[in-house]
Amino acid sequence: MVWNEVECSAKEQLEEIQSSRLIETVERVYTLTPFYKDKFNEMGITPSDIQSINDITKLPFSIKQDLRDNYPFGLFTVPMNQVVRLHSSSGTTGKPTVVGYTKKDMDVWDEVMARVFTMAGTTQEDIVHNAYGYGLFTGGLGLHNGAEKVGATVVPSSGGFTERQVMLMKDFGASVLASTPSFALHMAESASKAGIDFKKSFKLRAGIFGAEPTSKGLKEEVAKVWGIDYHEIYGLSEIIGPGVSCSCKHSELLHIFEDHFYPEIVDPKTGEPIEDGQRGELVITSLTKQALPIIRYKTGDITSLTRSPCKCGRTMVRMESVVGRADDMMIINGVNVYPSQVEHVIAQTKGLTLNYQIVIHKKGHLDKLDILIEVGDNIMMDSIGQMENLKKSIQHNLQNNLYIKANVKLVEPRSIERSIGKAIRIVDKRK
Amino acid sequence: MKYAIQQLSIFIENKTGELTDITEILSKNKISLKAINLVDTTEFGILRLLVDDAQSTKRILDNNGFSLTITDVFAVSIEDHIGSFNEVLSLLSENNINIEYTYTINCSKNGAFIFKVNPDNFKEATKALAKSKVKLLESI
Repeated sequence: MVWNEVECSAKEQLEEIQSSRLIETVERVYTLTPFYKDKFNEMGITPSDIQSINDITKLPFSIKQDLRDNYPFGLFTVPMNQVVRLHSSSGTTGKPTVVGYTKKDMDVWDEVMARVFTMAGTTQEDIVHNAYGYGLFTGGLGLHNGAEKVGATVVPSSGGFTERQVMLMKDFGASVLASTPSFALHMAESASKAGIDFKKSFKLRAGIFGAEPTSKGLKEEVAKVWGIDYHEIYGLSEIIGPGVSCSCKHSELLHIFEDHFYPEIVDPKTGEPIEDGQRGELVITSLTKQALPIIRYKTGDITSLTRSPCKCGRTMVRMESVVGRADDMMIINGVNVYPSQVEHVIAQTKGLTLNYQIVIHKKGHLDKLDILIEVGDNIMMDSIGQMENLKKSIQHNLQNNLYIKANVKLVEPRSIERSIGKAIRIVDKRK
Repeated sequence: MKYAIQQLSIFIENKTGELTDITEILSKNKISLKAINLVDTTEFGILRLLVDDAQSTKRILDNNGFSLTITDVFAVSIEDHIGSFNEVLSLLSENNINIEYTYTINCSKNGAFIFKVNPDNFKEATKALAKSKVKLLESI
């Protein structure tokens, strides 16, 4: 099943769409945002230099910092009365990244999410259990709208409350599950602990999983334990949210909806293009966004592109499941976190630079975050209560600023591992 | 400050061998321990020590990579009769002084109660006790 026949267009036809949309987008950002105008001027280019999609490499890159520098609405190209939705993700210095959508942007988001659900065979006969978090995070509402668009019945259960979710999936007869892969496994574990017979009790047939890096082994485990088709979804709020690409049932590669989001692979250091089939950093240009168009956005995700035909009939370019990061971004239960953000919170809590280490590990199928903090003479106090309060206030600030739950552990000075004198900041035991 | 006895409070993690790491350093440096008091949570604890020379012991432990802080406490001699502890507590409570923590030490005679109060109340507390019949110690 294909939602929109454009997904199966011939190469030339697609390039024509991309070219005209790119020209329009470039014109838009050049005229409406001083940020892009300055960047274009610096590089000595004007919109007239962009005649087709092949000219895209002439354009400047943009990065997450650009969004932060222009917080909150500096890169928007429409007045706020045209913006119908805002989403945001956690930020380094207490300032989050904000993204906005016009009515037309919402239509595009619904459209690409409808394509995703159709890839997973979802129709109005289906009951979609959506366990992605609802709120500022784009996951919950993004999946929700797409499922509604294809006419399915949506259960907006959001995250948490595992046992109740398992009960609802069983009682409502959910046929499609949308969640992070680790939460899907966590629910399976909870269900089997409760002695529920999977084959008899659940009607689940397919799942749309994403928002966190997932090994091949983990995907196979999710597919096997639930006995379902595994569809991987990819997206990021800076581009649209979930719905940039998704895998069909014929392969593990993800079809990118390139009539809306134009992908390139570049060398993360030099920015030079990398040929198809080779890994590099994924760069995306939004071709239809109105509120917040973005030019050549460096996602930080490492992947490769394939243009070989797919059995499903879709002709759109496919990307490999993300294999890593070009920077030190961590993904904790679907939430993006940079070590510098954690450092900032720690420093702010006590007004001191403390020696710390971030340890990520799995408890069952969920990510757990421990933050070890060395107790130096500067924070040593002769009171258990005060030391515990310090711990709690750091935990509280991490939750408030970065939306992550962490367990702060106070450790002795110089007990954090060092490599050539420098403390090792991140230990990821999930791998 | 009169009656102030310097106590070392050392941060330790709850794991095997932590205490011996400290006691070995102390014994190697010929430091005599007058009192040992350990309070802990599941993850970490504070080891409180009374020694002859708090400043030089702090230096030694600092050099060995421990985190510690010096706190003023006072000591009251234990009288060998029932209600001795109660007498001291009553005096402090009559003067509205809150005790943050207390423990006992044994020395050659009867031993002493060690008290930690808010530093703002330290003078007031020792003054009240000095006036009474209980015996404050100037050193241990």
